[in-house]
Amino acid sequence: MSTAIKIRGINKSYGNLQALDDINLEIEKGEFFGLLGPNGAGKSTLIGILGGLVHKDSGKITVLGNDIISDYRETKKSLGIVPQEITFDPYFTVRETLDMYSGYFGIKNNTDKINELLEALSLTDKAEIGPRQLSGGMKRRLLIAKALVHDPEIIVLDEPTAGVDVELRNSLWEYVIQLNKEGKTIILTTHYLEEAEALCDRIAIMNKGKIVKVDSKENLINSIDKKIIKLKFADLAHGLEEELIEIDFKLNDDQRQIEIETAKQDLDKILRKINDLNLDIVDIDIESAKLEDVFIKLTNLGGDDN
Amino acid sequence: MIINNITFFSLVKREVARFSKVAIQTIFAPLISTGLYLIIFSYSFQNREVAGYGIPYIDFIVPGLIMMSLIQNSFANTSSSLIGAKYNGIIIDFLLAPFSYIELTLGFMIGGMVRGLVVGSVTYLVATFFYGGAVAYPFLALFYAILVSSIFSLFGIVAGLWAEKFDHVSIFSNFFITPLTFLSGVFYSVKGLPGIWSEVSLFNPVFYMVDAVRFAFIGQSDMAPAFSALIIGSLAVILLLVVTYLFKIGYKVKS
Repeated sequence: MSTAIKIRGINKSYGNLQALDDINLEIEKGEFFGLLGPNGAGKSTLIGILGGLVHKDSGKITVLGNDIISDYRETKKSLGIVPQEITFDPYFTVRETLDMYSGYFGIKNNTDKINELLEALSLTDKAEIGPRQLSGGMKRRLLIAKALVHDPEIIVLDEPTAGVDVELRNSLWEYVIQLNKEGKTIILTTHYLEEAEALCDRIAIMNKGKIVKVDSKENLINSIDKKIIKLKFADLAHGLEEELIEIDFKLNDDQRQIEIETAKQDLDKILRKINDLNLDIVDIDIESAKLEDVFIKLTNLGGDDN
Repeated sequence: MIINNITFFSLVKREVARFSKVAIQTIFAPLISTGLYLIIFSYSFQNREVAGYGIPYIDFIVPGLIMMSLIQNSFANTSSSLIGAKYNGIIIDFLLAPFSYIELTLGFMIGGMVRGLVVGSVTYLVATFFYGGAVAYPFLALFYAILVSSIFSLFGIVAGLWAEKFDHVSIFSNFFITPLTFLSGVFYSVKGLPGIWSEVSLFNPVFYMVDAVRFAFIGQSDMAPAFSALIIGSLAVILLLVVTYLFKIGYKVKS
């Protein structure tokens, strides 16, 4: 696999605020890459620098081997960036907007691609109307279509599903997954961690202008030593406090279910103890850590700082 | 490659299409005010000649009125396009796309020039009903019109980039463009101004534009035409460099 984006020593400050602090990152071609972090972590600033919207103070970024400053024409043609804010040009219809945007990227007569995008993003019947008449979700789809109109190799989605209904979210992800399967590199920032967990191969977690961890999704999740055992009994589970005296558990309101959070190494011991209780178990579920747990741990959102 | 034809012409096309879609506001509305000037002045001063020129007053003011329309509309097009793009957030479209700085400069500038020249041309057509339509040096008039429209398109870009809200653009328009235009000799000969005012007018760059175009129309002017051409040409080159530099540094559009 070759490198799609290489980021070396990127710094950016706004006055006294260090928005990005020595960012180093490599994203491989064809990856579905997640860039996660709390508000103000520096994700959008980094994307802004990548797209030429923000000046960097120092460092270097290459896109498919081309420098974003000296080879800006090539890098911009390789990138399709969907910005976080919904923007639209009120003077032009959806089709005119896409046609014009194709021209900006040096493409003439792009009707086939435009029709494909309109179809894929369910905008065909809105093609001849102005963006003011589109709903919020449709405007968001138009933004996505704009970013894809020049068929970029790398697609950057900055919070693409913020404020978007579930149906659109699902259809959007289906389309993005398809693009990824076709070989496009996808970079996603999102506040919906379950989306990142479901979609991304590799994830970088940012906090306070720094990248605190980059790893595969599996490695990140496995780095959290946590299992949650959920048990449902046939009868009321009274008196378990005495039987499971060494185990910290939570009894649900219906008095028939318990939840035990434990380290992986204690799993066997706990299951044996429960077995020794001779209770009729009607359901059992063992959950692993989630990306959210990793996120909270690495960004210290649940910690003393907050 | 400094200019990619498709990329560049797409921006020009966008700029022209933008004002064409609201032609009533951008092309026909300015004609109303100019038409009123023509009606009022042709009626009020129908028997009056301009001192030192020996021509009817209406013949004297037509070139100035055309320049005024051209100046105001060239400026309005680029300034409103850019502040509108900032307001709507689509300014990022121009930054995300692979435009060179010179393409941005020339693309916006030509859009403004087209509007200025269209409104100027229509003003001329309307004016022919009032004065006959003679132009002493038509190609020279066209050359100056192109040059002046480029200057005010570029000035509009500066205003649009600098402005953070629509109000800021009107500061340029109300406190610079309008006074400089009205005091540039559109309605009078600067030579005939009393005392120091004649010399003060020489510091007004719009005076040279109006005077040069007047020379192209009637073959007479307050200043030597070559000197006015030098001033106008220098201003165009300086503004072209300034605007290209502003786009290069992302003045007020990149953080």
